[in-house]
Amino acid sequence: HSTFLQHADSTMMLSHLRHAATRTATLTRSFSTPAAAGAGLMKLNFNLPQETLYDATHVRSVVVPGAMGEYEVTADHVPIVAELKAGMLTIKHEDGGDEKYFVPGGFSLTHEGSTTDIVCPEAVKLDDLDPAVVTANYEAAKVAASSAESGSAAAAEAMIEVEVNKAMGAALGMSMA
Amino acid sequence: MTTPTTFWRLAGVSYVQYVSKASSTVRAALKEPAKSKALTQEAFAYNRAQWTTGVQGEKTLVDALKSVGK
Repeated sequence: HSTFLQHADSTMMLSHLRHAATRTATLTRSFSTPAAAGAGLMKLNFNLPQETLYDATHVRSVVVPGAMGEYEVTADHVPIVAELKAGMLTIKHEDGGDEKYFVPGGFSLTHEGSTTDIVCPEAVKLDDLDPAVVTANYEAAKVAASSAESGSAAAAEAMIEVEVNKAMGAALGMSMA
Repeated sequence: MTTPTTFWRLAGVSYVQYVSKASSTVRAALKEPAKSKALTQEAFAYNRAQWTTGVQGEKTLVDALKSVGK
């Protein structure tokens, strides 16, 4: 009597195991998942104090002019915070087009989950910059920097003008000495 | 504070002053009509009144920080 029940139990157990084994085979493959909307793209928030340029917009990548060096942020980029230097910020769009802005400074924060926040006090298009004015201001700033008292706030301000005008000149494709 | 490493910090200029100066430099190099629109970001004015013995004096307009010694 007892051996008959044991046989029945083991058969039940084996049939459960067989059922469980075949069930896992019918689950979706675990090494690939269907691509979500916006896959391969990053989300960009680009704000100025006076205007929002991009609000949670999917773009391909952003080339950021970090103070420690230029870098490109793509989807799934490692989180990074950078102070920006005066330079070119390039947004590479989904459709393949590039959009360039000149920024005097600011900050870029890349978060987990492919979202990047960029904040700048100003962002201008290169077409809006006047190369003749940049050259003139650069020359004037160089004179002011050399004539000001070394280490003074006035000298620092002149040096800031030299730096930023030089960066604008470089962005416009001019060679500034 | 740790030892300053930037030329502006060493000269006693704060980050806000530094980035504001850099922004002004960019705005000064703009062409019209973008220039007039951008220059509104720099415009500011304060009213200043001197208090003496608990009484507010006359309000005067301040449009340059240099005129009040800042």
